[in-house]
Amino acid sequence: MLSVGFRALFRREVLRFVRRPKNTFMPPAITNVLYFAVFGLILGGRIDQIAGFDYILFIVPGLVVLGAISNAFENASFSIFHGRWNEYIHETLTSPLSYAEMVVAYVAASAVRGLIVGVIIAVVGRLFVPISIEHGLFLVATMVVITALFAGFGIIGGLVARDFDDLTVMNQFILRPLVFFGAVFYSLETFEQSWQIQISLVNPMVYMVDSVRYGLLGHSDLIGVGILPTPYTEFAPLFALGVLTAATVLVLAIDVYLFKIGYGLTD
Amino acid sequence: MPPAIETTDLVKEYGDLRALQELSLTVEEGEFFGLLGPNGAGKTTFINTLVGLVRKSGGEARVFGHDVEAEYRQARDAIGLAPQEFNVDRFFPIKEVLMHKAGYHGVPEDEAAERADEVLKRVGIYDKRDERFDWLSGGMKRRLLLARALVTDPDLLILDEPTAGVDVQLRHDLWELVTELNEEGTTILLTTHYIEEAERLCDRVAIMNEGRKVTVATPDELKERGTDTISVRLESGVSASAAADLETDLGAYAHEVTTTGDSLEVRVDDGGSTAPQLLNDLEARGHEIADLEITRTSLEEIFVDLTRSDDRTVTRSSASSADGADEADESRPSEREQEGVA
Repeated sequence: MLSVGFRALFRREVLRFVRRPKNTFMPPAITNVLYFAVFGLILGGRIDQIAGFDYILFIVPGLVVLGAISNAFENASFSIFHGRWNEYIHETLTSPLSYAEMVVAYVAASAVRGLIVGVIIAVVGRLFVPISIEHGLFLVATMVVITALFAGFGIIGGLVARDFDDLTVMNQFILRPLVFFGAVFYSLETFEQSWQIQISLVNPMVYMVDSVRYGLLGHSDLIGVGILPTPYTEFAPLFALGVLTAATVLVLAIDVYLFKIGYGLTD
Repeated sequence: MPPAIETTDLVKEYGDLRALQELSLTVEEGEFFGLLGPNGAGKTTFINTLVGLVRKSGGEARVFGHDVEAEYRQARDAIGLAPQEFNVDRFFPIKEVLMHKAGYHGVPEDEAAERADEVLKRVGIYDKRDERFDWLSGGMKRRLLLARALVTDPDLLILDEPTAGVDVQLRHDLWELVTELNEEGTTILLTTHYIEEAERLCDRVAIMNEGRKVTVATPDELKERGTDTISVRLESGVSASAAADLETDLGAYAHEVTTTGDSLEVRVDDGGSTAPQLLNDLEARGHEIADLEITRTSLEEIFVDLTRSDDRTVTRSSASSADGADEADESRPSEREQEGVA
């Protein structure tokens, strides 16, 4: 898989965002300074602890997920769509790279951007509150999977979009609402009605935020609300990671299929 | 060795629009092959089918024996394409753009850098290697497209109207360069609107119209298919009745006789061999010859003649009625051209 061609495309994709930190890394850093300052310090000081954590610490995992997956999605969708718009994606399409190599290179580079942004947000959070990592390996695995998943969605978005407004719509009106209702700023355990929890569990973001929160803070709402029956309750984070991994594989397979049939790419 | 390009009954349909109609074409390895045709003839669609930017609706297409869909990796690896459109990565300096392209074709980074320098020198824009595409002049952009096609060291170089809109100097530079490449063994497929270009460079040309192959021949063979015009100025004018007589008398070898005052134009197959007989015939009828000129048929005239039709740009499959007539639709050609399909 790691052919010279694959590495060349991966390198090109990474260089594209690395060389433009003002456009790619500065915005999430500044935005999250504002989040932590307003939600964490100003409002958080008036909110009781959630699940045993200060509010500012509780929201760190959610903000990391929000930044990481948004950037993974944006990077992949922009890269594909901009390449289509200016037709330079033809440089890739007319090459001997396999469709799987093309997709994995785009996804991997976008996931890298998501991971870097995730780390930046965690570092920003660390400036406001001490953070220790409870389950490092699990955290890394989850971050890799969810950034790859959203990079995979980004590929689809980039292929489906007909203009730049479509990309904005996807990010602002689909992705962000799902993330904000994905228990970034609250715990599922704050819900008093079981139907509220059941509705929340339909939102895939809940599993991503919860998994990262488990990796970072060691707390999982999914264990608390008991999505798995006893005696498997404690395996809820692993279960969530398994489902997310399966979803990622499925989305990447769809990406490869779309490349193969030339959806949005060929006449 | 299999042919560089071999297509059999190649079809491309856009809904009910047929851009390629059962196109069968063979380009031998090492050939300099020209593709001529009016706008909308299907030249770019044909090329894009070979490189994977257009998916064929039917038929077969092979590049050096590799099916362009089933064995797309081998087929694409053999091709270097310089398209009409400026579809270049704007994010990177042009040297890096070339390195990336070479990399996609499996060329390691160090070698890709060397190749990029080499082709930039070859097309004469090495000193612009650190510039981005948008900062180049139109001519330099055209040179870069050629450099990008060459950086992968292709066995088949496809040039889609490479000299469209470029100045005379650049056109001659490009001609020299592609001739060198062809002499070095690279197969070249050239589409062009410039008949002179095809006549000067190509071993063989295919003339396309409405997605069909009209003919394939060498430029000389094509010219032989045309007619010559013998223009004769007589010492005295020709009366109407004498003109009518001439038309009848010269009918054995003249396709057309036109008389205007003291001038006579006779269209024949071969002007050189027919002129003496024409002079004898005119003198036998009492006409004194003041001047004579033979105009050879240009390839351009033959091209226009071969591709002349009431509607030259669009053919619809739904129009394939019982008598095989093609339906005209004048509203669509511009749309297809805007989409880069034409």
